[in-house]
Amino acid sequence: MAPETRTQYQEDLEALEASALGGLDLVSAALGRTMEAVEHQDVELAQLVIADDDRIDGRYLEVHQALITLLATQSPVATDLRLISALLHVLKNVERMGDQCVNICKVIPLTGNEPPADEEMVRLILAMGKQTRTLISQSKRAFEDRNVEMARDLVRQDDVVDNLNRECFGLALEIGDDPDRREWAMTMLLAARAIERIGDNAVDIGEQVAFVVTGLFREFEDASHPSA
Amino acid sequence: MNAPEGHSLLLDRGNLKRRRRVSATVGGASTVAALLAVGVLVVVVGSVLLKGLGALSLHFLTTPTALFGESGGGISNAIVGSGIMVGLAALMAIPVGLLVAIYTTEFASPRTAHPIRFVLDVLNGVPTIITGIFVYGLLVAGKHQSGFAASVALAIVMLPIVARTAQEVLSLVPATLKEAAHALGIAPWRATVRVTLPTAAGGLLTGALLAVARVAGETAPLILLSSIFAPGVLTEPGEALASIPIFIFQASESPSPEAHTQAWAAALILIAFVLLLNIVARAFYARSRKRMGA
Amino acid sequence: MDIRHPIESPTVTEQNPEPQADPRTGLGDPRPMVSVAGEPEAKPAKRSREVGNVALQGLSAYYGSNHAVRGVSLAFDSAKVTAIIGPSGCGKSTMVRCINRMHEEIASARSEGKVLLDGLDLYDPRIDIVAVRRSVGMVFQKPNPFPTMSVIDNVTAGLRLTGASRGELEDRGREALVGAGLWEEVKDRLKGPGVGLSGGQQQRLCIARALAVDPEVLLMDEPCSALDPVATLRIEELIAELKQRVTILIVTHNMQQAARVADTTVFMLDGELVEVGPTDKLFTNPDDDRTEQYVTGKFG
Repeated sequence: MAPETRTQYQEDLEALEASALGGLDLVSAALGRTMEAVEHQDVELAQLVIADDDRIDGRYLEVHQALITLLATQSPVATDLRLISALLHVLKNVERMGDQCVNICKVIPLTGNEPPADEEMVRLILAMGKQTRTLISQSKRAFEDRNVEMARDLVRQDDVVDNLNRECFGLALEIGDDPDRREWAMTMLLAARAIERIGDNAVDIGEQVAFVVTGLFREFEDASHPSA
Repeated sequence: MNAPEGHSLLLDRGNLKRRRRVSATVGGASTVAALLAVGVLVVVVGSVLLKGLGALSLHFLTTPTALFGESGGGISNAIVGSGIMVGLAALMAIPVGLLVAIYTTEFASPRTAHPIRFVLDVLNGVPTIITGIFVYGLLVAGKHQSGFAASVALAIVMLPIVARTAQEVLSLVPATLKEAAHALGIAPWRATVRVTLPTAAGGLLTGALLAVARVAGETAPLILLSSIFAPGVLTEPGEALASIPIFIFQASESPSPEAHTQAWAAALILIAFVLLLNIVARAFYARSRKRMGA
Repeated sequence: MDIRHPIESPTVTEQNPEPQADPRTGLGDPRPMVSVAGEPEAKPAKRSREVGNVALQGLSAYYGSNHAVRGVSLAFDSAKVTAIIGPSGCGKSTMVRCINRMHEEIASARSEGKVLLDGLDLYDPRIDIVAVRRSVGMVFQKPNPFPTMSVIDNVTAGLRLTGASRGELEDRGREALVGAGLWEEVKDRLKGPGVGLSGGQQQRLCIARALAVDPEVLLMDEPCSALDPVATLRIEELIAELKQRVTILIVTHNMQQAARVADTTVFMLDGELVEVGPTDKLFTNPDDDRTEQYVTGKFG
């Protein structure tokens, strides 16, 4: 076959993919610190995470701009085009995930500097966070390897997060009449919800993997079509 | 002189002067050679002009040659005779030459076209005296001289010129034009006649004119085939006719100085005719090339 | 006169002394059926789907011993634009030139297989090659108007050289110029030289010239590669309009052009047909890996 052409373009595209997926690492780290902040009610750590979200946003803007430029200058088609489209979606997902971490960190000061009202809820939330971090790294691996099976598996993993979220909800319902405890529980529910959203974003990334590989866009599972 | 930083390679190493000298010498030599070539033509035309202008007059052009021993007279019969013989030759050679050219460029396979071209080139190089002898043996031996025989000889000389020039011009017609015509569903012969030939028309005319210019002054065949003729203006090609080259030849051999001047004058006419034809021919060729380049 | 349409002009042209083959039986007079294209005065309207169907069956083409096209079988959609893409030397131009039998004009060229136009094999020995080119027109890479003819003479060249009346010529010439989107620009200089137009105009003139003989199929061999971007886009727009009247096959090096104008795209490599499909599919999700490699510029 003829010698490799467009090597610069290929290298650029690969670099941008690495950069976009690198955003997932940033998000995973942010989530980890967020969970730590929740565990120890660490307001300062929470502030740090909020400030650090600028890095994720910066990554989003930078890679987004570069992808648009690539679209304008290189006229990508077929797999390249699908990849760029998918990366644009992934970037959005990454940015959203980062925002969700910020949302969680924002509610931590509201819980005050006292010990948590319900250890069980905290434990559940930490479990959710851990599971979601697994989801994030699996989605990254699936994308890197273009592994559709692994991407589909994200649904199953996400179900775990969803179940934990439901448990949290159940616990909150039975938290009792104390207004402080109730307020705390509501706040923690917000956090749980945010983590659940992060999980959904990871599944979305999985759908993009399938799109790049197959050229077809199918929702793995969404609210209107729950899996059997 | 110190070179600017990092530019030592650009420094003159001392052979710049020598190169300039060589350049000037060669330039000078070629200019001189060119001037020489042009100069020769100028001298020839100039001397013919100077020496012949004296005898040039309307009378000279409209009176037939004087009989031996008499004075006065002109070249009217020579002009007419040349006109008829060259005209007949052109009538024979140009259509044939064109058709040969069309055949070799449009319809023949390369294997056939190549030998034909070669033969034409050889024919072009045959000394005209030989052509004269050949036609003499064919048409004059045992019979008598005739303007027609001279025409035949001249036509043989013209043929390769017409054919080769036409070939060159026809092969310059871009193949895309022929393709376009064929792709339109125009039959090949029609495409040749209505597209290729008109496009090459200028060049074809050039070839014809150049051939005419060439044979207008061709003398050797005429000596053998049409040099002994009756006085007065003759127009019957079956008989020997007068011609300008023969007039020049015979007048220059005459003892009378008046005849010599007349010879120069006739030469002037001939040269003027040839020059004019050449200029017109080149003009057509240039126009034709412009068309095909468009 | 072309091989499909009924004979209605009173003058019989010298090129086709023998009756044209009927596609059903292979003998006899042409089918008197095609609705639109029969009328010379009528404004060219949309064609019926029964005409302009080109199909290749096992087409192979050679230049001497060079096997340039290898057993290609393919059907082209009627009244649509099909683009043929592939790297240099893949045989796309050769294949297209077999369709109007221009391939055999080259000395060492020959071909095998069938080229069917509406079911009729154009390589059948009874077919008049000159008439084939009336039904299958061609536009070349470099615009090639006839230099000795005026604009209007150029447009009607295909008609004039086969015997048609003066009035008919002018009408059809005007129609063709309108169809090629050139009328407005040249209506005041119809007698001016054809080569006096700009490059883009010359190419549209060549398109008008090809259209004037009312072909069913129009072959375009990289028609825009010698033109500037604006002229190129105008011709692409023209192609989009023309496809209702003629089936268009366009060979192009420019993939973006193929993507813009074609309904179907064919990818060829080393003389073989690799993939054929709807253009959007070929450029977003091709089936064959070689197609993928080529369209993304990994080779070519």
